[in-house]
Amino acid sequence: MLELSAAIAGLVTGGAYALMGLSILLTYRLVAVVNFAQAAVGAFGAFAMVLLVEQGWPLWLAVLAGLGVGALVHALVGLVMVRWFSGAGEGIKTAVTVAMYTSFIALGLRLFGAQHPHRFPKPFDTPAFTLGNVVVTWMAVITLALAGLFAIVPVLLLRHTRIGVLLRALAERPQTAELIGIPVPRLAMAVWAITGAASALAIMIIAGQFASDFGSQALLITPALAAALVGAFRSFPLTLVGGMALGILQSVASTWSEIQEYRGVLPFVAILVVLVWSRRKERWDELA
Amino acid sequence: MRRPAALVAAAAVAATALAGCDSGGGDTIKIGSIAGLTGNFVTTDVVETAKQVFEDVNEAGGINGRQVEYIVKDDAGNPQRTAQVARELLDDGVVAMAGSASFTDCDVNGGFYQQAQISSVMAIGASPKCFQSPNIAPVNVGPFTLMTAVLQYASEQLGAQRVCNFTVVLPGSEDAVNQALGRWSELTGKELALSDLSVQQSGDMTPYLLRAKQARCDAVLFNPTEQLVIPWLQAASTQGMTDVDFLLLAPSYTDSVAEAASGLGLNVYAGSEFEPYTAESEANQAWRETVQRADSPATAFSQGGYLSATFMVEVLKTIEGEVTRESVNQALREMEPIEHPMLGTPWVFGDGESHAPNQASKIVQLEDGQWKVVTPEFITLPRG
Repeated sequence: MLELSAAIAGLVTGGAYALMGLSILLTYRLVAVVNFAQAAVGAFGAFAMVLLVEQGWPLWLAVLAGLGVGALVHALVGLVMVRWFSGAGEGIKTAVTVAMYTSFIALGLRLFGAQHPHRFPKPFDTPAFTLGNVVVTWMAVITLALAGLFAIVPVLLLRHTRIGVLLRALAERPQTAELIGIPVPRLAMAVWAITGAASALAIMIIAGQFASDFGSQALLITPALAAALVGAFRSFPLTLVGGMALGILQSVASTWSEIQEYRGVLPFVAILVVLVWSRRKERWDELA
Repeated sequence: MRRPAALVAAAAVAATALAGCDSGGGDTIKIGSIAGLTGNFVTTDVVETAKQVFEDVNEAGGINGRQVEYIVKDDAGNPQRTAQVARELLDDGVVAMAGSASFTDCDVNGGFYQQAQISSVMAIGASPKCFQSPNIAPVNVGPFTLMTAVLQYASEQLGAQRVCNFTVVLPGSEDAVNQALGRWSELTGKELALSDLSVQQSGDMTPYLLRAKQARCDAVLFNPTEQLVIPWLQAASTQGMTDVDFLLLAPSYTDSVAEAASGLGLNVYAGSEFEPYTAESEANQAWRETVQRADSPATAFSQGGYLSATFMVEVLKTIEGEVTRESVNQALREMEPIEHPMLGTPWVFGDGESHAPNQASKIVQLEDGQWKVVTPEFITLPRG
């Protein structure tokens, strides 16, 4: 039953993908930017946390500082967007974030050293239970719980609160929102800062399980975007499911010798299938 | 429109070659090096140590009265830069390369070195091409020979019955990995219980460890970069694999891995490229003093920098008359093998079509956050 064991192990990776995918979706839903730099921003926060822990700071204080760094860096990204690109289309905004992504990687490698690994603190790394021959840690349980929370809270916030309504207005009709007196730039900056802190939290939690260099952490953007794509950049629950499914799929694929060499490609195959399925009722011969 | 561009390129190559020939006869001996001073693979310790060797030689009066000018170029781990800086060095008039530690140098510049007829005494060769060129001879063992040596240690000295292999295959190195594994089978007559060459550099490592668990591996080889080894060992510890011997290669043999992996309760072994750098042995003494003078961290990589510069100096000293690219090539090809206590086999460049002079390694084991030498004698593989 190696497949079952692998599937259980894949829950952790899936939780990580989902967590990051949900952060991306949150940014997209609130300020209408597909942010390729978001995992890199999160990595800034996570690495700031690790450096402070290595300096002897207490963990909780270092985590708070790391969240602050994530918020600050993302706020800077937001500042650029609000100032110079608020009137630009989605494509241009996305292209700008791709440019930022490459700059952040170069900067991150320089600041946080590419030479030696950092050991991310894993305070909850004790076994929670054993399932199907796999030892599941508390960290995994917390990752999953947090991914669930990331999927539910934004939905509740957007649907049932006044601030949620304002935020939806901000994302969908920023100029109209401004005209009716919503303080758009200030609100947008707050959104950028909060989603930055959320990404930092996501990376802090999942960093210990992956290669511990800045570049690898920032690369989490790929599966995360894939997860958001499964949710069609709209649905929080579907993004959660997408992330989990990708993690499990990759993990199970590593046990099948026929396809294990191609497991890196599998998420994209999965996305294609999802896209084709979700567009099945559309007319394909229509002019764009 | 293609043809003029090609002509310009050819002219540039010719001009480069001519410029190189001219400047060989100046007052200083120019030696070049390509390393990662920024980017993903940072190897500053290698070139800092090599530089110190040349500075020491210069202070002592130089090589036959001539000073060495050591020119280090940063390729930032970027293949385009690797190609560009090699041409810049040739333009600068270097007569040979020494102390290079770029992971893309051999693949990108191997053909160019052959064309420009320049030799490289490489500090750290990591790709198969470093061991397959008539113009490059690394001083380190390299990942492939090291794989065979570490596997041999596990099966012959640790007595492992079910040896398994997990490898992250870098582009272009699959054949070399398979040869290294095959060489172990030839030497020991044993077969791997499980071999997985599809390990990815990203993601959770647990599924691979579950495979190893299911295959009842009692020794597991893994060749990760330093960044991946901690998650690998942590996941193994979480899965309770305390009775398995974990075998690693030289990139994992570092102080930071020792520190980060301490307290995980695993049996961890690694192959050293040279005399283990953590050993306070007499063999390491001259290198250690050099590293201290260079104010650089003592690492296995810096040993490579030290040895390649030292060997280059030895060979340059034998040259009578002008030091040019041709005379250095000739001296390297006709040199006597150099015995060095940091190496298990004598180092020689020679006139072969390929060079892998270093065929010996020692094994270190992780104990209480420190690497301890467990093989007092080098494990020397018979030449293939």
